[in-house]
This record gives sequence, C-alpha cells and structure tokens, in this order.
Amino acid sequence: MGFQLTSKDYAEYIRLAYQKIHENGDYITSLDAATGDGDHWANLDSGFRRLNEMAGDLETMSLFDEFRQIGRTMMSVIGGSSGVLYGSAYLEAAKILEDKETIANRELYQVLSAMLEAIMSRGNAKPGCKTMIDSLYPAVECYKACMAEGVSDTELLERVKQAALDGAENTRNMEAIKGRASYQREKGLGNLDPGAVTMSYQLEILLNYALGKVER
Amino acid sequence: MGYKLKKIINKAENVVEEMLHGMALANPALIHSEGLGVISRKEKASKVGVVSGGGSGHEPAHAGYVGKGMLDAAVAGNVFSSPDPERILEGIHQANGGKGILLVLKNYSGDFMNFTMAADLSGMDGIDVEHVIVKDDVAVEDSTYSTGRRGIAGTVLVHKIAGARAEEGGSLLEVKAAAEKAIQNLRSMGMSMSACTIPMIGKPGFVLGEDEMEIGMGIHGEPGINRTKIKSAKEIAKILLDKILDDYEASGIEMKNSEVALLVNGLGATPLMELYILNGEVHAYLAEKGIRIYKSLVGNYMTALEMAGCSLSLLKLDEELKKLLDAPSEVPGFSVSYGAVKTCVK
Repeated sequence: MGFQLTSKDYAEYIRLAYQKIHENGDYITSLDAATGDGDHWANLDSGFRRLNEMAGDLETMSLFDEFRQIGRTMMSVIGGSSGVLYGSAYLEAAKILEDKETIANRELYQVLSAMLEAIMSRGNAKPGCKTMIDSLYPAVECYKACMAEGVSDTELLERVKQAALDGAENTRNMEAIKGRASYQREKGLGNLDPGAVTMSYQLEILLNYALGKVER
Repeated sequence: MGYKLKKIINKAENVVEEMLHGMALANPALIHSEGLGVISRKEKASKVGVVSGGGSGHEPAHAGYVGKGMLDAAVAGNVFSSPDPERILEGIHQANGGKGILLVLKNYSGDFMNFTMAADLSGMDGIDVEHVIVKDDVAVEDSTYSTGRRGIAGTVLVHKIAGARAEEGGSLLEVKAAAEKAIQNLRSMGMSMSACTIPMIGKPGFVLGEDEMEIGMGIHGEPGINRTKIKSAKEIAKILLDKILDDYEASGIEMKNSEVALLVNGLGATPLMELYILNGEVHAYLAEKGIRIYKSLVGNYMTALEMAGCSLSLLKLDEELKKLLDAPSEVPGFSVSYGAVKTCVK
C-alpha cells in the first residue's frame, strides 16, 4: 500500500545520497566549469560527507530535530549559495515534521513543497531561471497532479522521480538569470545546470528509497 | 591536466582559517573568532557596527579593512564563496556596540542570501540590522530581472565612508545614508590578463591566451565584455574610463569639473610598477576630461587570488564624502594621505 519513512530511514537516505553525489564529482565539476566557478560539487560533497559522518546520530533523533540538524549542517558546511538554500529548505521542512514520527505520502508532498517554497523565497527565484528549482519544481507539480489523480504510491514515486530528472535535463535549454552562470555570454545555454543535476540526484535517491519501502 | 598547485599552503581545505590565524598574529588590534571565519576589532566601541565580508581570495578584502574608522568585523567564506549565516551572525555579535549594525555587501546571489538570512536571525536577538549592497561594476548591465551589477573594488571606498560616519557617532540610518550616497556615486571596471586557481579546485577557472586580455572580467573570473590582444597602459586606461564615464552620464551624474577619489586596484599578480604606470595614464586622461582627482589610491585592495590585471574605481565626491574619506583610520589594508593630490600636468 503505502510507505512510511522514519528518521532512521532518512539517515539511510542521506548515506545513499552522499554515495551518489560523491561518485559523480568529475561530471558535476565539468558541468560547473562550463557555467559557474567550478566549486559546486566540492562544497556539496563536503556537506554530505559531514552528514554521512553524522548519520549515526541523525537516525536517533526525531524527524523534526533531524531535519533541523541537516539544515544547520548544510548551511555551515556547504556554505555559499547552495548551503543557505538547502539550509533554508530543511529548516522550513522541519516545521512540517514537528510531532510527526514518519513521513508518508502526504507528509512527503508537504516536505517537498515547503522546501521548494523556502528555496524560491530565499533565492528570490522562479522556475525557469536555470537553477536547482528546475528539478524540484516539476517534481512537486507532478506530485500534486498524481495525488489529484489518486494513483498508487508506486506510480506516484516513479512519476515524481522522472519529473525531477527531466526537469534537470531541461535546464540545458534555459538561460541563467540568477547566480554566477548569469554572467556568462551564452548564459549557460546548451549546458545543464549543475545545481539542478545535484538536486535531481537527491530526489532520485530519496524517491527510489521510498519506492523500496512501499508495502505491496 | 598538467597543472601544478604551486601555492604556499598546507591543506587546501584549511586556507581560510590558517590565513585569518596568521593575519591576527600580525595585527594585535584584531581578534580572530577561530573556526568561524571572523576578524573583528579587539577594542569595542559604543557606536554603529559596520560589518562586511564575502568569499575569501580577495585579500586584503575584507579582514584587512577591520579597525578604527572602517569595519568592526569582517566575515570570510571559503574561497570565492559566501560565508554562511552562522559566521555572519558571529561577525554581527562581535561588532555589536548596541547602536545597530550596517552590513555592507557586494551584489552576488550567495552573499545576498546569506547576509539577509543572518540579518533575519539577528533581528530575533533584538539587534537592529540594516544592509547596503554595492554594485559598482559597470561591465555588467544593471537589471532588477537578473542578479545585476557585481560589487568589486569600489566596495573598499564604501567601507571607508560608512566606517568614518559610524566612528564619528552617526546613527544607524545616518551611517546607512552615507554608505548609500557613496554607492550612488561609485563606478568601477576591471580587466584581467591571467586566470587564478581556487586551491580546492586545483586548476585555473578559465584560460586566457599568452597575448590576450579580457576587458570587464569579474573578481571571480566571471566573463567580461570582450577579449582582445594586450594593449598599452594608456589604451587600457582609456577603455576602462570611457566605460565608467559613459555610465555616469547614463545615470545623469555630471562629471566635468567634479572631484573624485580614484582607486587603481591590482588583482593580485600585477606588480605595483604597472599599477603606477596605469595611474599616471588615468590622471592624464581624467585631466583631459576636466575631472579633478582629490584622492589617488594605488595598490592591491580587492584581489582575485593570483589573477593578473587591474580595476579602476571612481567615487564622485561632495564635501561630506571628502571629509569622511579624509577621516583617520587604523586598519592593515588602507591608508589615506591628507588633502588633495597634485593636479596632473603632462
């Protein structure tokens, strides 16, 4: 039927997300060299490396405390733009999880929506600006549509994952309006946005993890 | 890739903290908040605190401008990357003399997000925080649609003006107004002749040909307006100044017969010899344009690691700005001589 993610599950997701990000260093840095200043992966990787080291502690916390801890860690260890954006996202999502013991279908939607809202508001950016939003926004929109249609959790998770991946791919045809890439002559046109790609990695891993937890 | 990281460092991930540690050792009037990237004044004063900061790699900016008459604290992020809100909060607390805090930031997405988030958080602690955003780089079109114009070397003059106004006892809003006035009257433009290498990345962010220069490049290697063959100091002065003067005109600021502060800034690898040669050409060209140089500053004020190149900044002065610029300051990275400079006769 459905899935239920505990704080232990979320810590496990963090470990898997770290692996995925860590493995793709050269690729992400090559994307960043084309549009940014080349440090996105190094910063994100050090943030996830720290979270990975903390995962044993994270899994003992309530979801609320876990999300707040992740937010604060991302903000300080990743630093730069990505740090404050991910940090704001987790701190906002934590509010949804106050008094919650698990993340099920409905909560996952609320968490992702809260993250999207926080990132758009802190970054003063909209979809279509060639940023991390361009993976998260279509995922949230797809989630909303799937809930309205009442599809099964398995189908929902599959479709949301695909929307996140397609969203990152679509940044290839966008012009950067925010951040370093916006100073480029071609505004990054023809290149994927590294921030959107790493966002899609995280969503892919999270949704895959939830898929594995769906009780059939 | 054939690149060797030829730098005097220990570990790439520790460069910022180790730099600040060494800097505090050389400057007994400063303290380093270890692990938090903050340099602040040891002597605390009951006045408006002026705080700036941003990514590292621009030394002496920003920690070199901490001291009497300029900044009360500077917050350092990783190389070319904004400090996080926790570090900025530490800077705000170190600078807090109970009269409010002015944050001076350069216009980059990351700095804006982190500094405004820190301002939101310190509001919860009951500290009044205002901010101003320096966007002096005329190589970028200003626009509310995009991130817009970058903040570069002219920021140092804003530190001087705001710091002097705070030192003489101005209220938070008065200090902010002085900083805003400086920002309105400030224009800069740079050029680069070689790339720089972020220690954590280990190879240059871009490649410029042996005989090429790029006009309008930013202090993190952001692309400029165009790439050309190397030109003479005289031609470089004209290219940069024409763009700056056009921009003043487009903003309706009359420059003929006005007085300015001139900052000839090196990006890190350009010898002072070349900066002084350029300074001579800038004086000559401004004299032709009927612009009087009240104060002439030459040196490495806002660098981009070991990038070769320069930027020129002009600040149009009125009596208030002249007085604030002349006010004494005691900081490692900035000194002004009293009175106006000689008029250029060439």
